[in-house]
Amino acid sequence: MQEILQSTVDGIALGSIIALAAVGLTLTYGILRLQNYAHGDVLTLGAYVALFANTVLKFNIWLSFAIGCVGAVLFLLICEKILWAGLRKKRASETTMLIVSVGLALVMRNGIILIWGASPQKYDLPTYLAINFMGLIITRNRLVVVAMAIAAIIGLYYLLQSTKIGKAMRAVADNPELARVTGINVDRVILWTWIIAGTLTALGGGMYGLITNVRPTMGWFLILPMFASVILGGVGNPYGAIAGAMIIGIAQEVSTVCPASLGDLAKYCIGTEYKIGVGLLIMVLVLLFKPQGLFKGNS
Amino acid sequence: MFAYITSLVIFAGILALFSLGLNLQWGFAGLVNFGHIAFMTVGAYSTVLLTLNGVPFLLAVAIASGLSALLGLIIAGITLRLRDDYLAVVTIGISEIIRLISKNEEWLTRGTRGIQSYPIPFAKMVTIDWQKPLLAVLLIFVIAVIYWRLEWLVRSPWGRVLKAIREDEEVAKALGKNVFWYKVQAFVIGGAIAGLSGSFYAWQLTTIYPESFQQELTFQAWTIVTIGGAGSNFGVLIGSVIFQIYNVIFRFLPDSIRLDGGKFEAIQLMLIGLTLILLMVWRPQGILGNKDELTLTR
Repeated sequence: MQEILQSTVDGIALGSIIALAAVGLTLTYGILRLQNYAHGDVLTLGAYVALFANTVLKFNIWLSFAIGCVGAVLFLLICEKILWAGLRKKRASETTMLIVSVGLALVMRNGIILIWGASPQKYDLPTYLAINFMGLIITRNRLVVVAMAIAAIIGLYYLLQSTKIGKAMRAVADNPELARVTGINVDRVILWTWIIAGTLTALGGGMYGLITNVRPTMGWFLILPMFASVILGGVGNPYGAIAGAMIIGIAQEVSTVCPASLGDLAKYCIGTEYKIGVGLLIMVLVLLFKPQGLFKGNS
Repeated sequence: MFAYITSLVIFAGILALFSLGLNLQWGFAGLVNFGHIAFMTVGAYSTVLLTLNGVPFLLAVAIASGLSALLGLIIAGITLRLRDDYLAVVTIGISEIIRLISKNEEWLTRGTRGIQSYPIPFAKMVTIDWQKPLLAVLLIFVIAVIYWRLEWLVRSPWGRVLKAIREDEEVAKALGKNVFWYKVQAFVIGGAIAGLSGSFYAWQLTTIYPESFQQELTFQAWTIVTIGGAGSNFGVLIGSVIFQIYNVIFRFLPDSIRLDGGKFEAIQLMLIGLTLILLMVWRPQGILGNKDELTLTR
């Protein structure tokens, strides 16, 4: 029981990070009709810019995260300007854009290796003792991650529900044609989509660097759970993506627990190395039985 | 020098065969397969493990290719009924699972220690100097046969239906074609060809590790198909030659850049990504693709 609770806690931390990134992915997928395979590498970029601000420029970690977000947003806006805007104007097919995004992912990931090297790095931070809460070991960093994710999601909720641009974004994600004919300024929606996607994803990257370390493939390896969350939540539905990410995060951690009390049955446990397979299995099941997502977004 | 050129030819051939499989899936049927490396992994490991257990080469290769086809059938069965844009993510996922299996199931694949000293064709017939050249000849022969059969296939009514599906599924459906079944066939045959390329890959490497089957190989195949032109088998052959030249040019860079381990590789991969982007933006039909025939815009 203890092990399962412990891995639930770990799963919530991982789920929070996937949630932040998945919101960005689902918005670009839903609003721009872009399946962005470079999205994981945006997360990596955010983490590396934060690392640079923290270890080289010696800023404190919070300011470094903010700089990471600015860096990622700037990069996304440059890509929008020189790449995506032109492709949309040419009315490139979704598959064309998808292949371009894979190329972009390769360029970004290897660009990061070229600049910062391939070896894992850590932020310049003191280590804190883990908190022992009723036998559960919770590191301070995990608490920080969950708290920041909640704060970011509250901010997102306010933005999407109460501001004019947020409402416009939800409208475009829900039905692009209908949104267009009602006179929504699509260019502004696109701009804000990238800003929100970049900020949340880079924040997720910075925090992922807190609980593991910063390495060039960190984001690429999260792209599968991210897409799984997006599909679970229904494409274009940010709240669905958050719920999906929590389900995937917790399921991946809990399903690979192998409590000692199982005894002989332990050989049937799923090895922790197959975590990503659990997320994938959930995704495939959802695709097979409820392809519009668990919470019915637009499909 | 002769040995070096032979190995270049063999690697180009392997990439060509591998990409011909992808071209059938993506170029002709429009199926976005981002997990192509999974087929090569299954093909290579099956060949090696079977021949290690005394199965003759021809039978081992046939079974290996069959197992790759079976993997294709499983993936196709799960995903091809869905909206096609989900295929990309599912194929990446399955290739990741195959990679994890090759890395962790030590009883089967010996994990990260890799498999060494397995039987290689011609090893007992000729001296070591002639082994690789003969392998190259065999590979070229296999490519020629596959190419000939593929050309025959895609020019047949079957191939024309496939192209119709790529362009507009609804039209093919309206004509009463079983779209799902056509797609499954294309996916399975493409997988079997990639599995076959895996056998040659294993023989060329003489030792295989899970790391030998990097996801980057999938994207190299994508670059080759895109250079040559989706839906053109001859384009794929040209594409793989161009791609290999591209690889070779880097060998002539000054040692100071070249020997700097990871950075050199990173530059190469960045260029692959860049090539993919630029081609998709400026010449999505590639060198030999037929622009009038490919629907590249909405």
